[in-house]
Amino acid sequence: MAVTREVAAEMSEEPEPEADALAAARERIRCFLSGLELVKQGAEARVYRGRFQGRAAMVKHRFPKGYRHPALEARLGRRRTVQEARALLRCRRAGISAPVVFFVDYASNCLFMEEIEGSVTVRDYIQSTMETEKTPESLFGLAKSVGQVLARMHDEDLIHGDLTTSNMLLKPPLEQLNIVLIDFGLSFVSALPEDKGVDLYVLEKAFLSTHPNTESVFEAFLKSYSTTSKKARPVLKKLQEVRLRGRKRSMVG
Amino acid sequence: MAATAERARSGRGVLGSRRGGRPKILLTYEMQSTHQLDLFPGCRVTLLLFKDVKNSGDLRKKAMEGSIDGSLINPTVIIDPFQILVATNKAVHLYKLGKMKTRTLPTEIIFNLSPNNNISEALKKFGISANDTSILIVYIEDGKKQIDQVDLISQVEGHPVSLKSLPEITNITEVKKIYKLSSQEENIGTLLDGVICRMSTKDVL
Repeated sequence: MAVTREVAAEMSEEPEPEADALAAARERIRCFLSGLELVKQGAEARVYRGRFQGRAAMVKHRFPKGYRHPALEARLGRRRTVQEARALLRCRRAGISAPVVFFVDYASNCLFMEEIEGSVTVRDYIQSTMETEKTPESLFGLAKSVGQVLARMHDEDLIHGDLTTSNMLLKPPLEQLNIVLIDFGLSFVSALPEDKGVDLYVLEKAFLSTHPNTESVFEAFLKSYSTTSKKARPVLKKLQEVRLRGRKRSMVG
Repeated sequence: MAATAERARSGRGVLGSRRGGRPKILLTYEMQSTHQLDLFPGCRVTLLLFKDVKNSGDLRKKAMEGSIDGSLINPTVIIDPFQILVATNKAVHLYKLGKMKTRTLPTEIIFNLSPNNNISEALKKFGISANDTSILIVYIEDGKKQIDQVDLISQVEGHPVSLKSLPEITNITEVKKIYKLSSQEENIGTLLDGVICRMSTKDVL
């Protein structure tokens, strides 16, 4: 009784008015992040590595850019964080490998998730494989795996929005070709073949520009995708259409 | 009282005072599990697990009146202390922002364990009920504020046990049911992974 009141009074000198509380929260996060290892500084966000309550974690902080109007800043950062959290849950519920979310701080737009320890990006894997094996055929197994994962994702009507080989991780042991998808800030839900087609187009452009002489690998990926996905036909058709639409391409007669 | 409390904190065995017929309580260091919250320096969370509890109904009433300074949780749906820490971290975060969904920090912790946003359902499923024979008490100490653990423990008519016994108490079937875990998820992660994911992202559903 007495203990409770005393304790309640001590625990917080009554949470301060909102603006102060928000500023304090942001300062706390800033302080916390400064003690972590910065692993990536993107245009969008900074990604840190550290521990969260005993588990290996990654923290993605969508920071205010400074050149954007503050209202836009807040809204965009928040929206992308929300989209990412939602997409990660959707993936996991559908049995698609994506990092487990530990905590989402909407005050600072920080997403705390598990670290896939020992992982390698598909991008790095392809580059090192091409350096040692030198043949694209050695990547056909990987292409098959990626095709299967993306097919499952699209069958769940989840559009990634930023498919690149840097946004796919291989979980150790690497030979098992266990793919983990990451970076869902631009994701959204859609059943439209057009959206899925564009998703694949983004991947195609990123893939072919990052990994020269791998056209056959992408073909193998598309083959695997169409075998795995139940709704592949219209999607691939759209992909064709989008390809014709691309930059420096004329759709005129 | 202060002396015994001091001994409790130092981790040596403590004998609770005899109170009109109630048995002595022996608590050793492994039985409590205290963790620091990484995001809130100075904030410590302690978990206490009890078996063979006879006065759950009484305790529940006291909790509802606000006379127990901690969350009384149903341990049969808890798989790992990490689950509690995730719920607590979020609760403290929202508390400090003045944005909790429930009225008190103890109930907020219980609410955060739930995979959905229905408060009364959460308190029912994750809080304790009158016929529960095991309970998990979670309390927070922030900065100078300290909880009288001996007093807290003496209110429970049951045996404090180590958190290591939690797996014996957990009802995995019930956990899978409450969190609606699918078989596809079992292929990509542990039960705990599925639970944590739902707890942390339920506000964007």
